[in-house]
Amino acid sequence: MWVYIVKRLLWLPLLLLAASFITFSLGRFGPGDPVRVMLGNRYDEQTAQRIRHELGLDRPFLAQYGDYIWNFAQGDFGESFRYRGQPVRDLVIRKMWVSAQLAIAAMVISLGVGLPLGFFIAHRQGRWEDPASVTVALVLMSVPVMVSVPALLWTFCLKLHWVPCSGWGGLFDPRILVPAITMGVPGIAGLTRLMRASTLDVLGQDFIRTAHSKGIGQMTVNSRHVFRNALIPIVTILAFSLAGLISGAFITETILGIPGIGRFAVESVFDRDYPVIMAITLIGAGAFVLANLLADVAYAFIDPRIRYQ
Amino acid sequence: MKKLVITLITLMTLAAIACGGTSQSADEEPTQTPPSASMAAPADPGATAEPEQAQTPGQPGTAATPIVALEQQPSELTEPLPTGTFRRLWSDPPTLDPHLTGDTTSAGVVVEVFSGLVALDTDLKLVPDIAESWTIEDGTVYTFKLRPDAQFHNGKPVTAEDFKWSLERAAAPETASPVADTYLNDIIGAQEYIDGKASEISGIKVIDAHTLQITTDAAKAYFLAKLTYPTAYVLDREVVEGGGRSWWIDNPIGTGPFKLSEYRIAERIVLERNEEYYREPAGVETVVMNLAGGQAMAMYENDEIEITGVGLYDLERVLDPNEPLNKEVKVSPPGFSVSYIGFNAGMAPFDDTKFRQALNHAIDKELIATEVLSELVQPAYSILPPGFPGYTNEIDGLRHDPERARQLLSESKYADPETRPRIVITVPGTGGTIGLDLEVVLEMWKQELGVEVEIQQVEWATYLEDLDEKKFQAYAGIGWEADYPDPQDFLDILFHSESSINHGDFRNAEIDAVLEEARTEPDIVRRIDLYHQAEQMIVDEAPWVPMWFTGDRYTLVKSYVEGYEMTPMIVPKLKRITIEG
Repeated sequence: MWVYIVKRLLWLPLLLLAASFITFSLGRFGPGDPVRVMLGNRYDEQTAQRIRHELGLDRPFLAQYGDYIWNFAQGDFGESFRYRGQPVRDLVIRKMWVSAQLAIAAMVISLGVGLPLGFFIAHRQGRWEDPASVTVALVLMSVPVMVSVPALLWTFCLKLHWVPCSGWGGLFDPRILVPAITMGVPGIAGLTRLMRASTLDVLGQDFIRTAHSKGIGQMTVNSRHVFRNALIPIVTILAFSLAGLISGAFITETILGIPGIGRFAVESVFDRDYPVIMAITLIGAGAFVLANLLADVAYAFIDPRIRYQ
Repeated sequence: MKKLVITLITLMTLAAIACGGTSQSADEEPTQTPPSASMAAPADPGATAEPEQAQTPGQPGTAATPIVALEQQPSELTEPLPTGTFRRLWSDPPTLDPHLTGDTTSAGVVVEVFSGLVALDTDLKLVPDIAESWTIEDGTVYTFKLRPDAQFHNGKPVTAEDFKWSLERAAAPETASPVADTYLNDIIGAQEYIDGKASEISGIKVIDAHTLQITTDAAKAYFLAKLTYPTAYVLDREVVEGGGRSWWIDNPIGTGPFKLSEYRIAERIVLERNEEYYREPAGVETVVMNLAGGQAMAMYENDEIEITGVGLYDLERVLDPNEPLNKEVKVSPPGFSVSYIGFNAGMAPFDDTKFRQALNHAIDKELIATEVLSELVQPAYSILPPGFPGYTNEIDGLRHDPERARQLLSESKYADPETRPRIVITVPGTGGTIGLDLEVVLEMWKQELGVEVEIQQVEWATYLEDLDEKKFQAYAGIGWEADYPDPQDFLDILFHSESSINHGDFRNAEIDAVLEEARTEPDIVRRIDLYHQAEQMIVDEAPWVPMWFTGDRYTLVKSYVEGYEMTPMIVPKLKRITIEG
């Protein structure tokens, strides 16, 4: 087991190196220039050259790349080109925390609705509630953000006046309602179907029949035996979602004015803020690799039948 | 303080969200009368404030103006300072290091926390700041006398040595300031220093602890105005050198009326009154700038902020006299910015003056302003915005005149649509949406002249690159905003043949000659007259279609806020605010 984990972790630097090289090259050789963006319509060749020199942008490509990787390995992500004087690490962590709170709220909605619903319709297998719930969940999942956000805003902000129309106040601010629903609802369908299948699987097991024959009440069997065992595959799925925590949601964040990492990432691309683009790409890539590993490891811990060599 | 504007609509939206007040207001009521009385003045929604309104220095009546109150020691006042919190929306500033500041979002905070030798008042007059007085010899040698009581937020006195170090730090190559050339290169030796070819700026001399001498390369009337920009602000050497590039995040020591007490990226900026300020201390204890964003109107109505701009969609409601909000509306003349459609005079068909003039005459800006943009903008027929130094309403612009337009077109080299080159106008952005106003303009050209123009949208960074390389035949969706209040900042910088930002490749030797003469003309009346001449010549040659003088036309300010003045540029002004009750 440990050997397996270490082997997987050894791949991480290689993957990051590949991802960083590709991202770095795209920035340096693609169109656009951070110094021009910095100077706006006050561009002057002499000033631009001077700033390029100070930022090290006039050096050979490989020297720039090598330096970046060397500093990155030491935990120095550099200084933002757009937010002058601001360390990239602080900026990125702050924005990721905003997106993470949003993702947590969305996950609460996905889980809060998806799990009970899946559990419930598993008990109604073959009856009308079963296909009806799944259909509704699938339809909701298919609604694009560009439609769901205006619809939710119209309802909660303009008609019901429950929340301000945009903005951000953190996890415990009512303004999180609209983005959390927008991002949480699509997750319901998947979780419902997964929970339904998993519950049906458990319901057919011998130990459930045994529990019933011992005379344990229906409620106790459901809560103690069925629900708990049905959760096992869900836990592993959640490990994957961890990576999604920090990747943010560009469209939702932009429309609703949430200062999250998704919006920040896209703005950084438009502004050619290379250090920020690099940091977000690398942290994101690293997070996905680790989350994958975590999911694999979680399987092994939860399900004794799985062993890694 | 240049800000490019992606589209007009975006500008207005942004202005509404981010910077509620970039225009002059009608709320000059210098005495501390009961709130109801001061509210009465701006309550008339239909009245458009006159650009030439008589402005008082805007200081609460009971207090002496800061310029006069030199000897007043705030710490010795027995009366407790007023309390109160002023809250507004703001955007994440790209930086709060004054020497790196090059945008209005940063400058709006920086000017409240830091300060320099001279400043602009809310009526945009040049006033002393840390320099209490100065003399000018031969138009080039400026000798500043510093206030002996000026001190940094950490209690250290400000000396002439601090200024010399700060100006050199701003200009130093390793600072990599995007604006050092713009604001400091009139000083002798500054350009050499900026380029890393000198060990000091020879034109800056410390005479004694409180006397600083700056020599410029020629008599330039706009030099003092340039020194009001944050690039020329004073910083504490120890703090900056000890803190590295992010010193201002960890230890934001300035000299201004407010201290930066909290800065949380994407959340908020909190300013606290500097009780030891060398002039009269601020009238509010705290200023909270909400960076998290949000729907400004909703927040305003919910009493979460004290000020907001009014966007196109809320306009009708706010202007309704039956609405309670209507009592809090302030109408202001436009800010110091102009949006335009630029033509590339080096490329066909815009190399023909008559063709450019024809396109100008074909547009009915009044119609667009009223019908499409709800009068949120003012049509522009000249270059300098109303109220700007050197502005005159006597410029004879190329007004709507379809007859004349057709006449000019038929006289131009490109009268024949068969041989006329394909015309493409480029706008920045990625959304696929272009300004409503531009769509109407294209339609007017088509209907009045039969001139078909295509639109191409280019992503921002690429747009800037192509703009600088003069690759566009015509370009729109951007504007020009004043850096410092001098006509040179518009006319010379945008239209002189040699200017690096003359994006339309406009060349006219006569105009160049007038602009060059104006640069160093010592007689102010004659100098302004030269700019009038130059502006008229430029307008006649039609290198642009000037479109709008933009900026927040309507602003809402809570009735309990006194002393907030709308200015068409960023100037220090939060210290003037008081909160009633």
